[in-house]
Parts: sequence; C-alpha cells; structure tokens
Amino acid sequence: MRRRHAITLSLAAALVAATLLPGGVAEAHGTMSDPASRVYTCKNEGPESPTSAACKAAVAAGGTQAFYDWNEVSLIEAGGRHRELIPDGKLCSAGREKYRGLDLPRNDWPAKQISAGNLTVTYHATAPHAGSNFEFYITREGWNPTMPLKWSDLVLIKSFTNVNPTTFTSWTLPIPQRSGRALIYSIWQRVQYSQEAFYTCSDVDFGGGPNPSPSPTVSPKPTPSPTVSPTPRPTPTPTASPTAQPGGTWKAGTAYKTGDRVTYNGVNYQCRQPHTATAGWEPPNVPALWQAV
Amino acid sequence: MRALVLLCAVGLTLLTGCQSAPVAAPSPTVGTVHRSSDGPYNDTDVMFLQMMLPHHHQGIEIARLAKDRPVSQDLKNLAAAIELTQAAERETMTGWLTGWGQPLVGDPGGHAAHGGMPGTTEGEMSTLAKKSGAEFERGLLNMLIAHQDDAVQLARMETGSGSDKQAKDLAGRIDQSRTAQISQMLALLG
Repeated sequence: MRRRHAITLSLAAALVAATLLPGGVAEAHGTMSDPASRVYTCKNEGPESPTSAACKAAVAAGGTQAFYDWNEVSLIEAGGRHRELIPDGKLCSAGREKYRGLDLPRNDWPAKQISAGNLTVTYHATAPHAGSNFEFYITREGWNPTMPLKWSDLVLIKSFTNVNPTTFTSWTLPIPQRSGRALIYSIWQRVQYSQEAFYTCSDVDFGGGPNPSPSPTVSPKPTPSPTVSPTPRPTPTPTASPTAQPGGTWKAGTAYKTGDRVTYNGVNYQCRQPHTATAGWEPPNVPALWQAV
Repeated sequence: MRALVLLCAVGLTLLTGCQSAPVAAPSPTVGTVHRSSDGPYNDTDVMFLQMMLPHHHQGIEIARLAKDRPVSQDLKNLAAAIELTQAAERETMTGWLTGWGQPLVGDPGGHAAHGGMPGTTEGEMSTLAKKSGAEFERGLLNMLIAHQDDAVQLARMETGSGSDKQAKDLAGRIDQSRTAQISQMLALLG
C-alpha cells in the first residue's frame, strides 16, 4: 500500500480509494533493484536526506521529486523510439528534466561490485505488465563515467521479449569483462495497450581498473568552434505597420505586464496577468491571460 | 494505488465519482471509439481528461505556494499565470467529459494499465512549505518542474493515441506551454 497521500486528500477519500482498489492493481512502474539503479539508490537513502555524495548532488541538481517518483523514469509514448526521443547525455533521465539529477556524470555513484560471468539482476515492478520486452546493456570497455553517457557507449548484453514480469523479476545476464566502473542500462518497453517504456541506470564496479581521474586531461576541449560565422541576425522584420499598439504583435518569449496590448491574428488583446509568453499560451487560447479588446 | 488516490483528490464533487467508479480489470479498450455530436472520441481522450483534471488541481495547489512567500517576482508571475490558465483548462476539460456523458473520474485499473498517475503528494508539499528563503524557492521550482514534466508526458499520451481533435489540440498546447515553463524555471534556478 502507498505510504503517501495526495494533496487535499481527505481521510474519507483515502478510505474510499483503498477499498476500491483491488489488491494487485497499482501503477505500471518500476526500476532495477539489483544492481540498484541510481534512482532506486537515492530513493532508498531518502530523498530528503541522502547520504552518498552522488545522491546529494542529484537532489541538489534536480530536487527531491524524482526520488519519490522513483518508479516512473519513463516515456509514456516511447513505442520503441528510445534513441530518437532521448538525447545523448540524458539517457539516465530518459530526457526528462524531472529526472535530470540522474544524468550527473560522476565516478562516485554507489556501485555494486561485480565481475565477468553470469550475473543475476532483479527488476522491481510496482505494477508488472504481461507481454513486455526488456533489454539490458553495459557500457563499452573504456567508458568514462565522468563523461555524459551516450547511446554509442552502450553494448547490448541480452534482450528478453514477451516477458510476463512479476513484482520482482530476475534474469541471468552474461556479463562481459570490464575494468573499473561500468554502467548497466535497461529498457522496459511495454507492448500491450501502451507505448510506455522505462529506463534505468545501474552503476557497477569491476574493481582493479584505474578509475579515470575526475577530469580527463586528455581531451583538450575543441574550442567551441565559432566556425559558423555568426550569421548576422536577420534584420528585425519591421512590423508591418506599427499601428500604435504598444506591445505590437504577440511574441513567445516576451514578458508582458498587465495592461499591455498586442495583436494576434488580427485581433487585439490586453494582458490580464503578468507572464512571459510561450507557445501554447497564444492569446486566443488563454483567456485567463489575455482579453480580446 | 496512487493512481486512484490522486484521481479522488479533486474534491467532494468528484468523490461521488470515485465511489461509483467501477472496479474493473484493465481492459484492452484503448481503441474503443465513441460517438458524440462533435465527432468520434476514444478511451484515450477520456482517460487523458480524467487524469489531467486531478493533475491540474495539484498544479494549482503547488503554484499557490508561491503566493504569500518572498519569492522572486518572476516566479510569482509564472505561478499566478499557471494557476489561472490551469483553472480555465480544468473547466474546459470538465465540460468535455460532461458533454460526452463520461464520469470525471475513471476506472483506476484502466489508468494503471496506461502508466498510472504521476503526482506530488501532501507530504512532499508540507516538507517544502517548511522551508524558507532560497531553499524554499529552489524547492518550489523543482517541484513545479517535475509536476509540469509529468503533464508533458500525459499530454503526449493524448497527442499520440487520442482521437478527439479538441482534446488533442489542448494536449499539444499543454505540451508546448509546460515545456516552455520548464525552460523558464530552469533559467530561474540559474
């Protein structure tokens, strides 16, 4: 049963909820529990008072919410398009800002000591779903944990299709030889009734390997090439006719104050609430922010 | 568990909906097409709206934390705009569900089958409320970023699998505006 209650939730509502919920039904969520994923490790340390330097840094970087929602490092509409949707450097967060603390490239994430050969790994699913696919990867030999994790760093160990996971599901993986620190990455792709996929990063240590020094002096950063000659900004297109509208044409990124006037698609609007304009908040779509005048 | 708890968190009016919600096993009904006077809609449309309603409610609660605190004017403005726009969207979404004759709160098992319901909890909010100064402001920004990041996921479920044009358009705007809000908040975090 959940240990947390939603905001504004009355006890009565909680009781109603509890009685309505059939025993085994919960969210379709999970993560690697062994070797523990980064999110599982920090969740177990406690989101409000993590003990390891890495978890402290992750909370400092991205807040605590990620670790309360440890079993939701997922993309709801992934549908197998992992490499298309998740950019290099953001594999551990699935490209989601909520989980950005998990992407910190550090060589002190708590890591399980392992060695080459068969390794039993366990996945903790708070709501298992039949017919799922699981893929397990390990970082290539020579991977540097202090550099952003890229897709090209990963080597497939083994995949399993049409799995019917339980709350704790274990597999045996043939782990190749590595030295020093490595990372095991997993993808749980749901297949039935949902496109959702879950992603995990578990740090492991083969020992012996010389851990790369925190900042590899090897790579003298190629100067951030200003080779692309700074294209002279297209001259700010003279607004068609400055029809004396103080705010001119509505534009995303502009900070508007109450009373500011803009035009959008030929209609005049007046700002009702100070805000910075964004796509999706076009005046006709947000009458709470703009009043047609 | 949280899926249902959150769906029931909206308030007394919806509580009735919770009580009457049928307890059914997750069923493969995602493709089911319904008819309304406005055209066809499917179960994803319904589920999206039913999940977004309590999520919006939570977002408003979080945004309100900025009201009486000494946070930056930028954050105050953003939080107020979030509160106003999400309250309006909540009315719109409620209207659609009502118009379709669909309950405002759905079958929890069905929702769980589609990813459950991410959300912030009372405990997290009260922990945050006890903080002050810069720590509070950072905590609030991080909580709102996480919350809106969840909203983006729900919206993408709708744009990817929904059917009703209005609902998909709204989801598209939610995706865009929350993504932009996240960028603004990351900038405020510095």
